Amino acid sequence: MLKGKVKLDVTKLENFEYDMSKCIKCKGCYWVDHIYMPGIKFSTRCPSATRYLFDSYGAYGKMRIGMAMLEGRMDYSDELLKTLYACTLCGACDVGCKRNLDLEIELALEALRIKAVKDGKGPMPEHKKVAQNIITKHNRFGAPHENRNKWLPEGIKPSPQADVLYFVGCSAAYTHPEIAQATVKILNAAGTPFMLMPDEWCCGNMLYSVGMVDEAKKLAQRNIDAVRKSGAKTLLLSCAEGYRMWKVDYPKMLNIPTADLGFRVVHLVEFIDELIKKGALKLTKRVDLRLTYHDSCSLSRLSEPWVPWEGERGEWGMVSPKLERRRGTNGVYQQPRDILKAIPGVELVEMIRMRENAFCCGAGRGTLEAFPDFALWAAEQRLVEAKEVGAEAIVSTCPWCKDNFSRAVNKNGGKLKVYDISELVLASIKE
Amino acid sequence: MAISQEAYKVLKSIVGSEYISTDPVVCEGYRAGPGGYECGLGYERVMTKLPSCVIMPRTTEEVQKIVRACNKYKVPYVPYSTGWYGPRSHPHVADELLIDMKRMNGFEIDEEHLYAVVGTGVIYSQLQEEAMRRGMYIVVGGGGSQVSAIANMIGDGWSPLSYRIGLPHRRILGTELVLPDGELVRMGSLALQDDPFWGEGLGPDLRGLLRGFTGHRGFLGIVTRMAIKLLPFQPERLEPTGISPHTTLQLPEKRVKWINFTMPSKDAMGRAMFEMAKAEIGGGVTKVPIFWRAIARASCKEEFWELWSKENEETISGFHLLRVLLIGFASEEQMEYEERVLNDIITELGGEARRTRPSDESWFKNADSAGMWLMCGSYVSVDYVIETIEHAIPHGENYAKLKRKFTPPLMPDYGDPGWFQSFELGHQGYSEFLVYWDPDENTDGVDQFYLETSKENIRKRFYTSLLGSHQPLYLTGPAYGPNYHKWLLAVKDEFDPNFLCHPPVPLAHDQFVERAEWMRPMKDWESPEMKP
Repeated sequence: MLKGKVKLDVTKLENFEYDMSKCIKCKGCYWVDHIYMPGIKFSTRCPSATRYLFDSYGAYGKMRIGMAMLEGRMDYSDELLKTLYACTLCGACDVGCKRNLDLEIELALEALRIKAVKDGKGPMPEHKKVAQNIITKHNRFGAPHENRNKWLPEGIKPSPQADVLYFVGCSAAYTHPEIAQATVKILNAAGTPFMLMPDEWCCGNMLYSVGMVDEAKKLAQRNIDAVRKSGAKTLLLSCAEGYRMWKVDYPKMLNIPTADLGFRVVHLVEFIDELIKKGALKLTKRVDLRLTYHDSCSLSRLSEPWVPWEGERGEWGMVSPKLERRRGTNGVYQQPRDILKAIPGVELVEMIRMRENAFCCGAGRGTLEAFPDFALWAAEQRLVEAKEVGAEAIVSTCPWCKDNFSRAVNKNGGKLKVYDISELVLASIKE
Repeated sequence: MAISQEAYKVLKSIVGSEYISTDPVVCEGYRAGPGGYECGLGYERVMTKLPSCVIMPRTTEEVQKIVRACNKYKVPYVPYSTGWYGPRSHPHVADELLIDMKRMNGFEIDEEHLYAVVGTGVIYSQLQEEAMRRGMYIVVGGGGSQVSAIANMIGDGWSPLSYRIGLPHRRILGTELVLPDGELVRMGSLALQDDPFWGEGLGPDLRGLLRGFTGHRGFLGIVTRMAIKLLPFQPERLEPTGISPHTTLQLPEKRVKWINFTMPSKDAMGRAMFEMAKAEIGGGVTKVPIFWRAIARASCKEEFWELWSKENEETISGFHLLRVLLIGFASEEQMEYEERVLNDIITELGGEARRTRPSDESWFKNADSAGMWLMCGSYVSVDYVIETIEHAIPHGENYAKLKRKFTPPLMPDYGDPGWFQSFELGHQGYSEFLVYWDPDENTDGVDQFYLETSKENIRKRFYTSLLGSHQPLYLTGPAYGPNYHKWLLAVKDEFDPNFLCHPPVPLAHDQFVERAEWMRPMKDWESPEMKP
């Protein structure tokens, strides 16, 4: 809608006609913020356009393609689906664009995938398999549902009732139990009682990511109801992708503000940071490591809370009532850094692209499943950057990142160590 | 796919299948509009086409081969570096090949002799960072840090920092140009040896081929490599700080400083520019249009309009903000001296220093021209002249008057007369006139204003050292030349006999006027039947 009623509703591509039609090809979505431009190397932030090069893979191309889809000028093809899905939806384009303009790029990209699904053309075949797993087995791997809590370490018992509910997520439950285990041990060490969901299901990240919004919405409602019913005040996540689902995408799908969920959505790093600053958690054991921190997209630039908005767009493109744009300014950037700096022996070195300019690991939002080579390539780019600053290890706050980095290290036989931040915190807690 | 199978096969063999595509999705990604510089206007709608094929060469040799194949198979082509420069850098005719130069991103820097050799895919902020890291700097053209350094060097390429460093054509050193028939011209010292340190070279200076009239829109070949002169800077680091969108370079205050001055009048601003130049002080200077201040203060479009709607004719005509950059190139003492001299000049002229943030958001690394679109979603610099300061000031005032007739559709600006500054230590004065409009309303009036400015330049003798590509050649050529248009077309015929390199430039705006019915009534000059 160029003028008239408009709503931040991703189920209708028309809502983003203004945003798509006003892209000016400044490619702020592609380059690192020019203020932080590091020179010739590591100068871009969009994995998709950096890998595939053609303008159609940058947001500037996708906005034009989106307009063509909206206006019925573009037929579905393999190339079109690749353009829509060989993208990590990492939000780098969105915050880059919003440095200067008021355009909703990330939402437009999400709306394009939703349209592809509605038109019966999306998602990619690999996504459909994962979706099937989620619907039938309640996890994205298709693993037996009854194994979901097998990660629980001996000696740690969740409380039947607590203020904190730890939502483990599929990755930490099935493929990266070390993260879930470290998380609950940290809680234990801090004397924080926690509970688990009586019957935890997948958060539906993949469903929403690939445009299967109806299925994702059902899951969102089911999960939110379960947490509300539990009486938890805080929902704790150790997975950045899950964090964004709960904090941003669920409210978005259900058209409610994050604040109205009825509970606080907190990532482990926010929780630990508070504990450390309150003195409730002490990191005393040395971890002698020169490491670098990778900002997971969903914890950093994409994690600002959701506030529904609908109104009118009028002359000069102005909207009313006022819309507070999510520009990535208030993402979770500092807390993980403060935590790492608090670990004795850790030398934190920053990568060249950091915070809102960080280059995505390549795994998220359906990329790893449908375009594994691209996902691996993106992780390799990041590892080159980590090596460039002399890091011995790369640390992130998301099992998706850890998984993909590990894959890249294994493929190339590198010596770089890959950690989730929970593992390092645990290592620094005196037993 | 509209180009022949045979031509496609040859082109594919040059770059490999990964770097060529005729897929409609890929081609759609290269559409000029609807948003962007000059986009959404009649020119974009009438004159641009989607490419029928996109190719991405890696080397000069590949570019030569591509161009030769185009000549062999009669495929029109346009070089494309970043696509920023709106419709004029996109295909204009059917079945055109778009040569995307982004893979040509080679970079070398010679610290001893102060120059960098860049490929077409290298952008300004990359170049500036590499230069600054080594104690040098360059002007990042006002078009933006995101533009190809080469494209901007052969196009516009100036900013307030050009006051000190000078205009870009003086900084073009050894350069490689693939002519429209595929022949390679090595300019400057590259003509003699593989060392680009010298710009002039032997014989006539061929750099006129790059910048003459609209040559920079790719109608006389493709620049693949250029050595760009860098200038010595001061040694302290300009530290990036903040989180988007509040990112900025923190300036080392004893070596680099912006100071804003309120001045009593426009003439006093012009006078200050003269006096600064005479005293040979300052690293940059510009008049600040009130737009910029409002953009800088607003956190969103709506806030801009809240601020802007408080302005009126009186506040605009009384707003005289002069922004001066001081750089202690040699020492802190040098900057202190310059500041004292500057303060004397300003005091004598009745000006006053205002509190100025010790940071730079807009000119060193981040020429954030993209912010110009915040207000309306559209923007164009409708005219720019490089002449004298006395010439620059009335140029803007005159345009402001002319603009009233076309407001709306142009955005209400209460008579804002654009901006002016001096270049090359006062040896030139510069005026640039910016316009904005609502792109979702009828924009015919914007197209008409555009053309009317060309006529106004002729009527009022605002002769300009550069003819914009939005000025019809058969209108301006006879008036400026008197045979400038004939020369230009003769040059084009000589170098591009098949008229394949970005047709119909340099006659594109002439053709637009012929084709757009709302423009035809404005045509009051003679022109022959257009080719191609």
